[in-house]
Amino acid sequence: MQEGWYNMETLLNKPIPTSADGLSRVDGRAKVTGAAKYSAEYNQPNMAYAVLVGSTITKGTIATIDTKAALKAPGVLTLLTYLNAPKVPGHVATKPQKPGAKSGPLKIFYDNKILYNGHPIAMVVADTFERAQYAASLVKATYNKQAHDTKPPKDLSRGVGAWDGKDFTRGTVDAWKTAPVKLEQEYTHPSEIHNPMELHAIIARWDAPDKLTVWDKTQGVRATRGDIAKAFNLKAENVQVNSQFVGGAFGSALQVWPHEVAAILGAKVVKRPVKLVLSRPDMFTSVGYRPYTWQKIGIGATADGKLVGITHEAVGQTSSFEDFAEGPINTSKGLYVSPNVTTRYKLLSLDVNTPTWMRGPGEATGAFALESALDELSYALKMDPIDLRMKNYAKVDPDNGKEYSSKYLDEAYAMGAKQIGWDKRKADAGSVMENGWLAGYGMAGGMFGAYRDNTVAKAIMKADGTLTVQTAVSDIGPGTGTAMVLIAAKVMGIDPGKIKFDMGDSALPFAPMQGGSATTSAVGSAVNDACVVLKEKFQKLMGNGGTDKPDYVKILKDNNLTELETVTRSQPGPDNEKYSMQSWSVHFVKVLVHPATGVVKIDKVACVADSGKIISPKTARSQVVGGAIGGIGMALMEEGIIDHRYGRYVNNNFGDYHVPVNADIPQIDALFIDKPDPYINPIGAKGMGEIALIGMAAAVANAVYNATGKRVRDLPITPDKLI
Amino acid sequence: MPDKKPVTPTGGEEPSNATRRDFIKQTSLLTAVALTPGTVVEAATNNMDEQIAAALEKLPLKMEVNGTPRSLSVEPRSTLLDILREQLDLTGTKKGCDHGQCGACTVHVNGRRVNSCLTLGVMVNGKKVTTIEGLANGEELHPMQEAFLKHDGFQCGYCTPGQIMSAVACIREGHANSEAEIREYMSGNICRCGAYPNIVNAIQEVKAGGQAV
Amino acid sequence: MKQFQYIHPTSQTAVLDAISKPGSKIIAGGTNLVDLMKKGVTAPDKLVDINSLPLSTVNTGPDGLHIGALTLNSVVSENSLVLDKHPLLAMALKAGASPQLRNMATVGGNMMQRTRCAYFYDTAMPCNKRTPGSGCGAMGGYNRMHAIFGTSTQCIAVHPSDMCVALAALDATVTIAGKKSKRRIPFTDFHRLPGEHPEMDNHLAPGELILGVDIPDNNFAKNSYYLKVRDRQSYAFALVSVAAGLDIQNGIIKKARLAMGGVAHKPWRLFEVEKSLEGKTPSEDNFKAAAQIAMQGAKAREFNAFKLKLAPATIAETLKHAGGLV
Repeated sequence: MQEGWYNMETLLNKPIPTSADGLSRVDGRAKVTGAAKYSAEYNQPNMAYAVLVGSTITKGTIATIDTKAALKAPGVLTLLTYLNAPKVPGHVATKPQKPGAKSGPLKIFYDNKILYNGHPIAMVVADTFERAQYAASLVKATYNKQAHDTKPPKDLSRGVGAWDGKDFTRGTVDAWKTAPVKLEQEYTHPSEIHNPMELHAIIARWDAPDKLTVWDKTQGVRATRGDIAKAFNLKAENVQVNSQFVGGAFGSALQVWPHEVAAILGAKVVKRPVKLVLSRPDMFTSVGYRPYTWQKIGIGATADGKLVGITHEAVGQTSSFEDFAEGPINTSKGLYVSPNVTTRYKLLSLDVNTPTWMRGPGEATGAFALESALDELSYALKMDPIDLRMKNYAKVDPDNGKEYSSKYLDEAYAMGAKQIGWDKRKADAGSVMENGWLAGYGMAGGMFGAYRDNTVAKAIMKADGTLTVQTAVSDIGPGTGTAMVLIAAKVMGIDPGKIKFDMGDSALPFAPMQGGSATTSAVGSAVNDACVVLKEKFQKLMGNGGTDKPDYVKILKDNNLTELETVTRSQPGPDNEKYSMQSWSVHFVKVLVHPATGVVKIDKVACVADSGKIISPKTARSQVVGGAIGGIGMALMEEGIIDHRYGRYVNNNFGDYHVPVNADIPQIDALFIDKPDPYINPIGAKGMGEIALIGMAAAVANAVYNATGKRVRDLPITPDKLI
Repeated sequence: MPDKKPVTPTGGEEPSNATRRDFIKQTSLLTAVALTPGTVVEAATNNMDEQIAAALEKLPLKMEVNGTPRSLSVEPRSTLLDILREQLDLTGTKKGCDHGQCGACTVHVNGRRVNSCLTLGVMVNGKKVTTIEGLANGEELHPMQEAFLKHDGFQCGYCTPGQIMSAVACIREGHANSEAEIREYMSGNICRCGAYPNIVNAIQEVKAGGQAV
Repeated sequence: MKQFQYIHPTSQTAVLDAISKPGSKIIAGGTNLVDLMKKGVTAPDKLVDINSLPLSTVNTGPDGLHIGALTLNSVVSENSLVLDKHPLLAMALKAGASPQLRNMATVGGNMMQRTRCAYFYDTAMPCNKRTPGSGCGAMGGYNRMHAIFGTSTQCIAVHPSDMCVALAALDATVTIAGKKSKRRIPFTDFHRLPGEHPEMDNHLAPGELILGVDIPDNNFAKNSYYLKVRDRQSYAFALVSVAAGLDIQNGIIKKARLAMGGVAHKPWRLFEVEKSLEGKTPSEDNFKAAAQIAMQGAKAREFNAFKLKLAPATIAETLKHAGGLV
C-alpha cells in the first residue's frame, strides 16, 4: 500500500472499541435471565398446537390426501387442507420491490397445485404439540407428478427467466473489453438460509369474529398488521400484532408468510388460540432465503490501474410463482469511478419456494463478485488492492453525479489496514507459511444506501421524572431500544436509567419495518424529534425562554400536571433527495490455510464502518462483529443443498447446514469512523446492519487466494476446493 | 414403572396408522377386558375414551426444577424441553432446532449441561434441573449473566439462555483456561447473530474474576 | 413421535428380558435415538432405559483398560487413566459432537449411533438402510459425505463416530451380554459393511446388550494423534478423520495403529498401512508413501471424489503429528 494518501495520526491512533465499552442493552437483563419472551412464549389458556405437513414432491397436483388416520389420532381438533380450509378473503402481498409479473405470494391451502418440495398441503391442530406432530406424520398424500426443475443451468450468460431487469449502461457498452489490462470471471453463491435461532412462530387468538390478536415473529408489527388485516378483510385497528422480542431474522421476517395465515385460519376453525412453530426443516422452505445467484464480471483498467469499464451480469433464482428481485448489480454502478459501466440482471424461475432479502441482500451478493474481481485485477496489475481502490475512489456518486452526504471510506481503508497489519501482506500469493499453515491477507469493501423513512414517536414525561418513549418498531437484535434510550437521554438531559422504550406493539405510533439498515436513522430521528418537542413544551412552561436543563419533576408539579407528552412525526427532507446517501464498510481478513487438508482458519479480522455518528457504541460494535461472522459463514460454509432429482433439500437442519460456531471465530476488531452525516437526519447516524456483512465474503476469498494462490469463485470455500 | 399394558400398537419401524382409540376398543372388547377397568371399557366403547386414554399413557415425573420440586404427569415422548416450555411455562429455555444441533435448549441436569430437546422428560425423574430462570439469586444476577450484559454476549437474545448455561458449565468443568479452549467448549451453542467473541470475553472475565459460579 | 411404552429396569436380567421382545429398543443417552424417533426414522413400541445398570466404570483390569458401556463420552474423555494410557481415545471423543451431547452420549450408544446420511434421515427419500428395498438415494444423489471404501450396491453410508475410529485403532474388544451368555469380539468386528443388508449396522444380535469395551495396554500414548477434517472447526461430522498411534523406539516405528473415519460404513482400520510403517523411521516421506497404500480399493462418486485426495493427505498429516514431526 502506498503511503501518502492518508496521514492521519489521530485517526490511526484511536482506541479500538472493546466489548465492554458503552451502555449495556436496556433489554439485556430480560435476555440474560430468560424473562424475554419471544412469539411462541405467550402461552394462552386453552391453546391448541398446529403442525404443517409439506409436500414430498416438487411439482404437480395433489391426487388424494388421506387424513383419516390423522383425524382419528388422539387430541386432534382439526386438519386443514385445500379441500376444507376456509377461504382467505384477501391475498397477502408485501413485497415493495416486486417486479410483479406472476401470481404473487403462495396462497396456502388454496388449490391442489404443488409448486415446490415442502409446499404446505395440510395443517393438523391438536391439543398438545406432541399429538399435533404425531398426527401430522399420519397424513399421506398421493400426487400427479410433473417434471420439475430446481437446478440452474450451467450457462446462464444468455439470460433466462420471466422477468428481465432493464440493462443499464453508463458510457459505452462492455467497454472493459477495450482496456489494456482486463479479466472476465464468473462467480456463484448457493442459496443461503437465514436460519435465525428463533424458529418462526405465531400464536393467533380471535377475540371476536372481526378481532384478532397475534404474537408473531415479525420485523414490522405495523406492516404485519396491515397484511393480516388485508388478508382476512379486517379493520387494521382490529388486528393487534405483538412482537416484543424477535430472536433474529436477518430479513426472514420482513413479510407475512403462509404459515402465519394458516395459524390464523386454524384458530378460526377450532375457536381456540393456536400456536404454530415452524420446525428447523420448515425454515428452509417456508420463510425465504438468499437466492442462488450467478454473476459475471468483466473488468478492465489502464496499466496504472484506472478503471476503463465494468460489466456486471447477474442471474438470481426465484420461484415459479413469484418474482423476487434485489440489487446485486447496484454496487458496480457506484462503488468506483468507472467511465463505462454495463449491468444486466435477470431472474431464473425454478420450482422452488420464493427467496427474500437476507442481510446485506443483493448488495452482499454483488460485492462478493465485484470485490473478488477487483482483487483479481490488482494481481493482474501487480498493484496493491487498496491502492487500486484509491485510484478509482469516487468523491461524488458516479451513478447520478450527486455529492455524498458523507463518505470517509478512504479513512476506513487506512484504519483497517493498520489494524490488520496490512504491511505484512506479501503480494506473491501462496508465499507465506506460518507454523505449517499458509497465511494470507485479503480485503474488500461495500456500500449500502442510507435511508430514512417516516416515523412517529410518542414521548411522555411522568411526574416521577421517568420518560417513556413509544413507537411500533420491532427489534430483531441490533439493539434498537438501547440506541433510542441513548438518543432520548441526550436530548432530554436525563439518565438513561430513567427512560423506558416501548416497541413491538402495533397499537403504538407508526414505525417502519426493521430492514434496510434504516431503523436508527428513521426511528432514532423520530425519538430525537419527539424529545426535542417535549423538552420545548417544558421550556415554554418554565417561561423566560426556559433554560437548557429543565427540572421536569418540578415543572410538572408547579403546573399541577401528572405528565406531559407529545406525538411527533419525523420525516426526511429535501437534503435526502439532494445528496447521495450511503453507508460504507471495509473488511480486512487474515486467514491460515492448511496446505494438506484445505482447512481454512480465520486468524484475524478488522472491520471499519462509516455509518455516520455512532449512537450506541456497544451495540454498534456487536452489529459489525455479527455481520462479519455472517460474512464468514457465507464465505466458508453456508450452502442450501437440493437433490435436484427430487427437488428436495438434503441439508435442511443445523447439523448439515453449517453456520459458524464459536471455534471458527477469532476476536474481531470493529472500528468506526464515527463522524456524523450532516444531512441524512438530525442525529447524524447512517445504517450499519447491511454493511457489516457486505464485502466480507470477498475479503475472505481474497485472503484465501493470497494464502494459497487458489481463487475460489464458487462459494462456499470448503476444504475440498483447496486441496 | 407402573405395571400397565402398552397402549400403543406394535408397528415395526414405520409409524402405525392404528389409533389408540381403536386399540383400547379392541383390547377391551376382546382380550383385555379383565385387565381394564370397567369404566374404561365403557368410555372406550362410547367414544369417550380420550381423556382416560391420555391419562393411561402418561407417567409420573418428579423432578426438582430450579430448587422447586415438581410433580407432573407426562407422556414418555415429551422432551424435557417441551415440558419446561409448554407445561411449566419456563420459556427461558429455547427451542432452536429440536435435534441437538444448536444448543439453545441447554440446561443442567444434576449439574451437567445437556440438550433438553433430546432428553425425554421421564428420564429426568428424580433429578435436579437448572434452567436460566434458576441461575440468578433473586434480583442478584449470576456473575455470568452480569458478564454477558457487560460484554454484550448476544444480540437477539434467543440463544443466550443456552449460551449462559453452557458458559457456566464450561467454567465449572474446567474448560475455560484459554481463549482457544473456551471457543471449542462453547461450540455446542450456535449464535446466528455472531456474538461469539463477546461471549468468549464474558467467560474470560468471569473466569479471571474467580467468583464462584 | 409415536407414543411408546417406557420402562426403567434396574437389573441386567430384567433389561435382557425386556429387550428380547420385538419392538423394544434400548435407550441410554438418547442423543441419536430420540433424534431418529422425532424424524420418524425409527418408531419403537417400547423404550428400555438401561441407565440404572452398573456399567459406568473406567478401571484397569486383566484385559487392559475397561470402560463400561454407560460411561459418558465426556467422562471418558477426561478420565485420568484414559488420558494417561490412551490419549488417542480422549482426542477422538473431544472431536465429536458438542460438550452437551458428550454429557449425554454413552460409550455403548456411540457405538450404536446410526449414519447421518440425509437420505436415511428423510422418510420421504429412498434408503435401503431405513426401508430395505426402497433404493439408495445417495448413490446418484448428493454423496459428498459418503463412503469411498467397502460400499455395496445397496448402501454407501458412513459411520459417523469419532470414538469408534480410535477404539478400532487401539485393538479394543467389545463385551456383549445375551440372555444366555456373554461374548467378546474385536472392536473392528463389531461394525459391519453394508453388503446386502445395510439395515444392519453391526453384529449385535437382537436382544443383546453391550457391557463395555476393553483396550489392551500399548506403547502408543506418547505418539498418538486424532485429526478430524470437517467443514467447520467444531460441531461437525468428519469429511475424513484419522486416528494414529505409533510405538517408536530408538527412532524406529515398532508398531503402528491407524484407522479412518468418514470413509466407510464402519471405522476403517488400515492394517496394510500399519505393516508398511513398521521398521521405518518416522519421516514425512515414509508417512506419505504409507498414506498411498491406504487408498487401494477406494472408489469415489460424483460429490466425494475429493476424499481420494483428502484421505491420504489427512493420514500423512496425522502421522506427522503422531510422529512428532509437527
